[in-house]
Amino acid sequence: MPLIKNNEFVDNAFRHIADEEALPDGAIVVSLKRWHAERDALMARNAPIALRLSSDQSPEAIGADVHHFAMIELEFPKFKDGRGYSWARLLRQRLNFKGEIRASGDVLRDQWLFMSRCGIDAFEVDPGTRIEDFRTALTEQTVFYQPASDRVATVLELRHKTHSSSQRASVAAE
Amino acid sequence: MYRYDEFDQKIVDERVEQFRGQVARRLTGELNEDQFKPLRLMNGLYLQLHAYMLRVAIPYGTLSSRQLRMLAHIARKYDKDYAHFTTRQNLQYNWPKLADIPDILADLATVEMHAIQTSGNCIRNVTSDHFAGASADEVDDPRVWSEIIRQWSTFHPEFSFLPRKFKIAVTAAPKDRAAIKVHDIGIVIRRDASGTLAFDVYVGGGQGRTPFVAHLIGEGIQAGDLLAYLEATMRVYNQYGRRDNLYKARIKILVHQIGPEEMRKQVAAEFVEVKAQGALALPQAEIDRIQAYFAAPAFETLRDDALLAQQKAQNKAFAAWHDINVSPHKMPGYAIVTISLKPIGGVPGDASADQMDLVADLAETLSFDEIRVSHEQNLVLAHVKQSDLLVLWQKLDAAGLATANYGLITDIIACPGLDYCDLANARSINVAQAVSKRFADLDRQRNIGELKLKISGCINACGHHHVGHIGVLGVDKKGVEFYQITLGGSGDETASIGDIIGPAFAENEVADAVESLVDLYLNLRQPGERFLDTYRRTGIQPFREKLYAAH
Amino acid sequence: MPQVLTANRLLDGEVVYLASDGAWVEELASAAVIATKAEGEAALVTGIEAERNQKIVHAYLFEVIDTGVPLRPVKQREVIRAAGPTVRSDLGKQARS
Ligand code: SF4
Repeated sequence: MPLIKNNEFVDNAFRHIADEEALPDGAIVVSLKRWHAERDALMARNAPIALRLSSDQSPEAIGADVHHFAMIELEFPKFKDGRGYSWARLLRQRLNFKGEIRASGDVLRDQWLFMSRCGIDAFEVDPGTRIEDFRTALTEQTVFYQPASDRVATVLELRHKTHSSSQRASVAAE
Repeated sequence: MYRYDEFDQKIVDERVEQFRGQVARRLTGELNEDQFKPLRLMNGLYLQLHAYMLRVAIPYGTLSSRQLRMLAHIARKYDKDYAHFTTRQNLQYNWPKLADIPDILADLATVEMHAIQTSGNCIRNVTSDHFAGASADEVDDPRVWSEIIRQWSTFHPEFSFLPRKFKIAVTAAPKDRAAIKVHDIGIVIRRDASGTLAFDVYVGGGQGRTPFVAHLIGEGIQAGDLLAYLEATMRVYNQYGRRDNLYKARIKILVHQIGPEEMRKQVAAEFVEVKAQGALALPQAEIDRIQAYFAAPAFETLRDDALLAQQKAQNKAFAAWHDINVSPHKMPGYAIVTISLKPIGGVPGDASADQMDLVADLAETLSFDEIRVSHEQNLVLAHVKQSDLLVLWQKLDAAGLATANYGLITDIIACPGLDYCDLANARSINVAQAVSKRFADLDRQRNIGELKLKISGCINACGHHHVGHIGVLGVDKKGVEFYQITLGGSGDETASIGDIIGPAFAENEVADAVESLVDLYLNLRQPGERFLDTYRRTGIQPFREKLYAAH
Repeated sequence: MPQVLTANRLLDGEVVYLASDGAWVEELASAAVIATKAEGEAALVTGIEAERNQKIVHAYLFEVIDTGVPLRPVKQREVIRAAGPTVRSDLGKQARS
């Protein structure tokens, strides 16, 4: 699957390792189950390690271990399964995870922006995806009401820093 | 009422252009129907039995005259000269063409309206009390808080792919006119002992296949923390709501399965975390800003109108309409007028483009330029001078809008049912019409008193049948329409779910069945009792005996 | 039981039926009556093809009582789709005839 990060296609440095597979050298992605079972051996390796979470696995279960991971992959088995959005926010805001959060699975073009707002910064996309489409999708909406993981200024912040005086005037004129 | 600033406007304008692009991609085939469907649903566009259906949001049921005129204009230009007001305070067009939708949305955006989040598994249009700002029993205007919630919930990046749709209702009066206890979240605003606003958050109510009355989960939440509390509730639901079974995915099932106590604990824990982040704390400046938009209009200092009694004495039809459709206003000399969209034998909730224009004109001249849409599928002029009532009634009457039946048995809620809806099992409008004609006589209706009859064409319960004093649910029995009757439901502050009385009835038996239930009530009732009161006193048994003995 | 293939037209959502010449027609009376399973499968293939070509949305078969003219669907749902809302005879296909 092609991978997009920072608005560009990038190479995927991580190899998916199945639970029964022997550990190779190099950067790998393991399941939560394997992490729990072989935590010490995995930590002793000398290469970046990433964790993949299925949509029913909360990152809260890994707690402070989160900082051992170079990347956390959130699986979206169906585009309708929106748990990953909450997991991404928990990773960024509660666990202060600074590494890459990657979305994989069934992801629609029109979900990239929401995902990015929630703190997901890498996207596995369908072969044939055009980078222009990705960039467009991320800029189709530019004004946001809610604070989220992306720390973009919200409407509230914009209103009350830059527009509070003119707003009050227009209310009075109603 | 609220007016968009440049930010609100830009959000809606960008959305229109985004959807224009999506429709273009659909028409060239770049998007197939599977890919397009979730996108169109997020913009309120369904494909129903006969055509597309566009559902336009009317946030908390408040419209300006200019907005209502635009809705009429769209009905004329792109549809078939009418539209349907729903139990969600929304408006539906039944015949728009796909290629026209971007232009319709652009027209809506010019009057600060949209179809965002009127479908899909997201936080839907926030509903509220249709008497807001006019009724003496409220502690604050609930629309201030509804608007704050509307903004927070619009394109919420985390909560746009929830397990199921999510409905929030707000009231600030002890008399619940917004059916808050049968919503995913229902908010009751009250004042605590010190006079400070406090928010009671009820969670896990709902109708549909498994109806529940909501539990009080958050008690006395402070105004500045309201959004943090809602975000915490939503996050618990988004993480732990069931996704394996469509019929068990609403938050009511989660609350039911883990229990209200556990729900309270989980939300409270999440609330602490969200609050600690601080980002969702509502600044007083923003509360003040929105409050200013809902400041009371420039009421004149009046006394209750002395002429009214005389006008009523001279005109019996006006007097009846006044007694039934006019409610007391908090200001002396003013009144709240309910414009019934339930003419005898008509289609509940439908209004023609001409009728919408007329109501817009009347609101502009007689009610501070404001119209409300009620979840009971009526329109409301909330601030009419008592001295204008006669003139108002005459104009409404000439347009077929002066049906006197607010709260009576012919003020029926009915969903579109199988006449329009792709999910329906049976028609509902035809049943509403049959019952309405049966009880057309106004003296008979008044003698029966308050009786809420609600009809749904399938178990999705858009017609709120679970909370009807008498509820009617259309079912499909081997391709034939049948109707199951429930009794004793209520959507007010004493909310209850109706009990199924017994085997379903054929289409042509429903009006008879309703009539025998009503006749029994008239025999059993004690002085001052409404149908619901009698039912609650006697229980279902006498009604069951009467109904099935007669058949 | 005989069947008819139906769908909604992509552009305007109009209810349409597959006719024997392969056209999508608006009137049930002009629809092809499908008698065998093999014909039904062939019709569905045509439907999927038309979905791919952005002509229609969601093609499916429904049962009709074939007593000659007029063709009558077994289910009320299809009766209403073929005519229009029963509570507004001025709307839908019924208003055109
Ligand atoms: S209750 Fe059923 S039939 Fe009625 S509008 Fe809702 S989904 Fe359609």
